[in-house]
Amino acid sequence: MENAETDSTRRQRILVADDVEAVTTLLVTALEIAGYEVVVAENGQKAYELGKSGEFDLAVIDQLMPGLLGTEILGRWQSEGVNMPVIMLSGVEDDEVVVGSLDSGAIDYVHKPFRLPELMARIRKNLN
Amino acid sequence: MTSFDIAMAAVTVMFVVSAVLLVAVVVFKWANGRRLAAHNQRRIAYLKLLSQHVAAPGSAGQISIRQADDDAFIDALIDIRHTLSGTSIETLDGIVDRAGLISHQAKRLRSRFPLGRRLRAVVSLAEIGDPRAARILMHHLSDRVPEIRVQSARGLARMRYTAAIDVILDRFHRETPWVQSRFAETLALFGRDAVWPLTAWVRINHNHADSGVTEIIRILGVIGDSEAGPALAELLYSAEEPEIRIAIIETLGLIGGPLALRPLRRMIQSADWRIRAKAATAFSKIGDPSINPILSEGLGDASWWMRRNSAAALAALPGGIDLLYDAIGASDQFTRDAAAEALADCGELIAARDRLEDGSAEPRDVKLISYMHTPEPLAS
Repeated sequence: MENAETDSTRRQRILVADDVEAVTTLLVTALEIAGYEVVVAENGQKAYELGKSGEFDLAVIDQLMPGLLGTEILGRWQSEGVNMPVIMLSGVEDDEVVVGSLDSGAIDYVHKPFRLPELMARIRKNLN
Repeated sequence: MTSFDIAMAAVTVMFVVSAVLLVAVVVFKWANGRRLAAHNQRRIAYLKLLSQHVAAPGSAGQISIRQADDDAFIDALIDIRHTLSGTSIETLDGIVDRAGLISHQAKRLRSRFPLGRRLRAVVSLAEIGDPRAARILMHHLSDRVPEIRVQSARGLARMRYTAAIDVILDRFHRETPWVQSRFAETLALFGRDAVWPLTAWVRINHNHADSGVTEIIRILGVIGDSEAGPALAELLYSAEEPEIRIAIIETLGLIGGPLALRPLRRMIQSADWRIRAKAATAFSKIGDPSINPILSEGLGDASWWMRRNSAAALAALPGGIDLLYDAIGASDQFTRDAAAEALADCGELIAARDRLEDGSAEPRDVKLISYMHTPEPLAS
């Protein structure tokens, strides 16, 4: 994380974690067109491992993934001191999940199906 | 030729036939695997192409009619469409329009065979949910193939094409129970828009149990709009079939409302144990504790279901737990059993044991624990 803040020439790196191929393809395409470097995790365990490396400026993670739930990943990162803005993306409309995600450290919660321009704006805002 | 030779010849023929069949199965599985892998590769390529169109409209190349005719393209389009909302859907609609996808799928659907392609076409139209397909799907609500009728209804419900509600209901009497059940599920997708037409239909058909009316009544409960409450409560008095009354009671339990209480009070004293038991459950869902004395009487009912449902309802209603504890001391064994089981099911038994362990138990905790160990009449 320290490197990301000091190296201004480096492209900002975003971790996208979702087990739905349409979501990851869409986000990777949109984020790369916008000039970001994107890494994809197709399951919760991989997302957790990649995120704790501290090499990302922001993560967009799904709540329901095989391996680990989004809120579980957030809890682990929080206890291990991973300090990275996380946007939770989920089709779950349950208030408990939304509040749980925000309590676990997510800076934003976006419902699926989502508005792409709005999600991109939230990503831009949280990266700046 | 000896019988041994004949047997050997038969074994050889069987062996050759089995070997040929085995090879055919292996070749078929291999070819199918290759076909699916190729389909998936194309789908991924289309996902990328469509993502480019959505992320930066105008930046990617045109999608040809040939591409749009590919099942892999339609799968990718449906996947992307389910992911997005807002203006991106308009971009996707533009692609569908330019590629002539709706008219192409409609042509496939209109053809008489093969059935697989017709089904694929109707599912595509239903999943894409483009309002321009509404007229085609309306036409196929009377298709000769039941699955096509069901998928047409689903597509119309997905696009909230409310003109389809009456047409689906008009067909209801003529359909098999399987189609009726699937139609009912699609009607639920219309949400609140369907409440008034469904209620009006139930009002007309509520004394025809074989017309699928119970399915429609239950769908009103699934939609969960209290607008249907007064009409259903009134129908409880005029419905003759117990199945219809049961369906109405279940639905009233879900959508509630003060107007439901009066007819439900009458139903809880019905001669039919099924109606009494359903009414007890409905009261617990509505959450009206004024019924507690009647539910307490229900603990000693002749029907096991009524005793069980009354006890479960008391466990869920304010003040009901106290009445269940009181019932453990009743003279009737059935009443005591029903009350004790409900207290165990709602976690009171565990809580009573915890209180006993930490020294804060009340006499009624001891009474419950000892009754669960020895369910005989207690000494007064």
